[in-house]
Amino acid sequence: MLILFDVIDLTSLEETYEALRTFDVLGIEKKPDVTATACRLVSETVGSSSSTLKDLFYALKANSIVKCKINDKAYQGIITRLNAAVDGASSLPDFYYSVGGLLLVKGSKGDVHLADADGIFRSVKAFRQSDGRWRFSSNSPESSAFAAGIALETLAGVVSLASPELDQSLISTLNSDISKLFDSIEKYDDGALYFDDKLVDGHDHQGPLATTSSVVRGLTAFAAVTDERLNIPSNKIFGLANFFLGIGVPGDAKDLFNQIDSLACLESNRVSIPLILSLPSTVLSVTKEDSLQVNVNTVLGSNAPPLTVKLVGVFTSGSKAASLVESQELVFDDGTGMYNLNNLPKSIDVGSYTFVFEIVLHEPEHEKIYVTGGQKKVPIFASGLIKIENAEIAVLDSDLGSIETQKKLDLAGQNAVSLSANHLQKLRVSFKLTTPHGLAFKPHQALLKLRHESKVEHIFVVGNSGKQFEIVLNFLGLVEKFFYLSGRYDIELAVGDAVMENSLLRAIGHIELDLPEPPEKATRPPPQPVDPYSRYGPKAEITHIFRAPEKRPPKELSLAFLGLTFLPLLGFLIGLLRLGVNLKNFPSNTVPATFATLFHVSIGAVLSLYVLFWLKLDIFQTLKLLGFLGVILVLVGHRVLSYLAATSAKLKSA
Amino acid sequence: MGKFWVIFVASISILLPFLCNSFSPETPTDRRVLVLLDDLAVKSSHSSYFNSLKLRGFDLDFKLTDDPKIALQRYGQYLYDALILFCPSVERFGGSVDVAAIINFVDSGHDLIIAADVNASDLIREIATECGVDFDEDPSAMVIDHTGYAVSETEGDHTLIASDDFIKSDVIIGSKKIEAPVLFQGIGHSLNPVNSLVLKVLSASPSAYSANPLSKLSTPPSLTGSAISLVSVVQARNNARILITGSLSMFSNRFFRSGVQKSGSSTKYEKSGNEQFLTELSKWIFHERGHLKAVNVKHHKVGETDESALYRINDELEYSVEIYEWSGTSWEPYVTDDVQVQFYMMSPYVLKTLSNDKKGLYSASFKVPDVYGVFQFKVEYQKLGYTSLSLSKQIPVRPYRHNEYERFIPTAYPYYGAAFSTMAGFFIFSFVHLYNK
Repeated sequence: MLILFDVIDLTSLEETYEALRTFDVLGIEKKPDVTATACRLVSETVGSSSSTLKDLFYALKANSIVKCKINDKAYQGIITRLNAAVDGASSLPDFYYSVGGLLLVKGSKGDVHLADADGIFRSVKAFRQSDGRWRFSSNSPESSAFAAGIALETLAGVVSLASPELDQSLISTLNSDISKLFDSIEKYDDGALYFDDKLVDGHDHQGPLATTSSVVRGLTAFAAVTDERLNIPSNKIFGLANFFLGIGVPGDAKDLFNQIDSLACLESNRVSIPLILSLPSTVLSVTKEDSLQVNVNTVLGSNAPPLTVKLVGVFTSGSKAASLVESQELVFDDGTGMYNLNNLPKSIDVGSYTFVFEIVLHEPEHEKIYVTGGQKKVPIFASGLIKIENAEIAVLDSDLGSIETQKKLDLAGQNAVSLSANHLQKLRVSFKLTTPHGLAFKPHQALLKLRHESKVEHIFVVGNSGKQFEIVLNFLGLVEKFFYLSGRYDIELAVGDAVMENSLLRAIGHIELDLPEPPEKATRPPPQPVDPYSRYGPKAEITHIFRAPEKRPPKELSLAFLGLTFLPLLGFLIGLLRLGVNLKNFPSNTVPATFATLFHVSIGAVLSLYVLFWLKLDIFQTLKLLGFLGVILVLVGHRVLSYLAATSAKLKSA
Repeated sequence: MGKFWVIFVASISILLPFLCNSFSPETPTDRRVLVLLDDLAVKSSHSSYFNSLKLRGFDLDFKLTDDPKIALQRYGQYLYDALILFCPSVERFGGSVDVAAIINFVDSGHDLIIAADVNASDLIREIATECGVDFDEDPSAMVIDHTGYAVSETEGDHTLIASDDFIKSDVIIGSKKIEAPVLFQGIGHSLNPVNSLVLKVLSASPSAYSANPLSKLSTPPSLTGSAISLVSVVQARNNARILITGSLSMFSNRFFRSGVQKSGSSTKYEKSGNEQFLTELSKWIFHERGHLKAVNVKHHKVGETDESALYRINDELEYSVEIYEWSGTSWEPYVTDDVQVQFYMMSPYVLKTLSNDKKGLYSASFKVPDVYGVFQFKVEYQKLGYTSLSLSKQIPVRPYRHNEYERFIPTAYPYYGAAFSTMAGFFIFSFVHLYNK
């Protein structure tokens, strides 16, 4: 909770005051540096004439808690300033700050008076609306309960500052306004009451807590100065106290201040002081014989006046039967400050009950000061250990009901039965529950669960007759519900209740079911959730399997055959030599010899071109060169061959 | 007056693109959050949660659900990056917000937190159903657990549950182990089993069931055991994240601060796990964790640096991508060992796990398969809790050209030898034939 104030910017006087006030009410020791910082801030604001009215007001408020040293001269300056501000005020906040400031100065100096208290009272009252709400200034059309709280606080200040006392009739006219304001109170379901300004245009909306807090502050301040009793039903004050207590610990420093400050106002107000009845524990164990303890104190935990707490009645929750016990008084224990009922009445067995308490004040005049909120109903859970006996599981034959297999179960320990059944048999699970007082006990949760291997679950409620709990599963009627799924079913039994201290969930074992084959149109079991952990994750790697290269003979074999291909050429050459070939016919004349040489060179060139074609050239390059070589070959060949033909013709003719 | 209006509209239309740029792919963390409440008291009673968000830099805008001015978008631009619905009993929203508007908000990549409660309204149930989550249909049902309840002096009906069955994912609930159980009081929900986007973050114990604690149980409860989800999250395909829970009070200051002792256990924790659990979870929901981006997708042949326009079959290639995770303030290298690349044409031909250099660069090298066609480099990265990455880049693969085949095959040497020996024989024969005498 204190963490909230650690982040407070201690340069804002309003927040400083709120922090100091919260610490003050809660009785938390202020850190010296907080006090020192606050005092420095206060004296700066008080000393300077340029500080705003609001800052001055909060500086004085903070000062009323930390008690800094402010000299008389500064006080005189403040009084003059505030008096001038009161006279010149035209809006409700102006009145609030200046009158509040003067009241605070009066608290520390003691000789401050308002000269024209009557007039100021009337001019503040002019902001009043007919519905009990107030406006912030005469030209703003909106009225709010928040402003009402501020106005009441201001008026209370005016009343206590008035030097000739104000006319009581003037003050008492406000009584009806306050009643009207309380007509607009809103209500939560649990009986807590609060004020909330309806959102008109959103800006400056305070929220229910701030609004309620403002009203409470104004109301209690006003009640403190007026002589007559305010005409407010005391249960409304009780409802407001419930509101502040019911919101828990707010997470905002401002909200916490509003809550704590309002509770402090309610703690000692003159309207009526709420007394809160609370129970430290509403879960009582019958087995352990817990005693019922009740606490009664004021909203901030102070001791209540002498009183008696009465247990008016005990009712079973949800039934309208008569009270289980006689009305009795609780015993006050001086040591703990609690009201005790040492032994729960014998008629209280395990179960949930509504206890009704009533507070009776000893002194009749306290009735006017305190409000107790009437009878208080408290839900109480009486818990205990439930005895589980005769737990059995059995497989029965359908037609005769004769028992085929039967096993005892120990539901307090571990069990691992293994049964088997077919669709013509039945499964029976039975057990007996008794309360510590030996009565029948009906738990809220008595469930039998069958879970198939494929995670399809079937749940059955175990019914009872008196103490005996029994469920018979006739598999013949259940085959469709079981989706014709044969196989292993795990059996779990859950017995539990809010008041059963030994609630349990036990895996009993399993049953092998042999069910008929599903017909074609049987419903399929519903899809089961997929485990999220297996849904993701890396997939198995895939590597491409490349086409295997063609199978080839070993290189040596190819080379051997390459050698073989040259053998015929070798044979040809040897044959030629054997035949004794010669080149005597080669032309001897120069010109034909040149042509013959060129002819063979060009044949060689064409053959070399083929080798080149194999080695590097493509078909187009080859054809180009071949065309060129071919022309030469034809021309040269024609000359040579015609020469050779002519020579051989000459020889023949010769 | 008319002139002012024109100036106003003009300035808004100029400013709007700048006002609305906080949610972008570059900085995925949300900034502006709309909080819709039934009751302003929630703002104070749940302030720890809101403060933890504010301290992390979120700009929370609290509105009552019946505020006639609430709107999620204006002039086609979204005004908020995320929406928190802490209004379990709302029957209809004020302003222009309705179920369709909220679904569109999520469909455009924005985040959502829904907290329901007992007696949750049909509207809240409908929104939850749209997100793949079904709350128990019985309006007065609560999750009850007679063996896993939180021991309490004042709450005896066992609806205050201490649960510690968390999802095993560091990215969703933080790497620091949550020691204390989480307090939960509210309604349970079940997940649609065919919906793969919704995850159970906090499940109930096997002994839990969902029923009305005040009435007798005559029919089997519709939700039982660990099928009951207490807190679920959804990560949509567009990476919008949704948190759904059936308990508004688990966010409250009271639950954040209260101690917890699970029944049957003797350990009593000073503080419940709610604050840690929900704060860590909100980091995930608002994209401070688990948001990935992939940049600089590159591929090239081994030994080259330029990206090829196409590959030949059997080429060796290298593929690389850089992956970063958003840490809330900056992009940090993402280090893991399960990012995989696929070389894909109709089905993956190659699927390889990328190796990383611990600085966010993931790479792999492999050989192009000997099948030609139009392939894709695909990275489909999905991991529990992380945004999914889906990268694909098309790349054609061609076969060998005619001159790229092997030219001098040893097996063919005898054929070549035969041809050339014939040619040599012919050359010699031409002399012999012409000049022999």
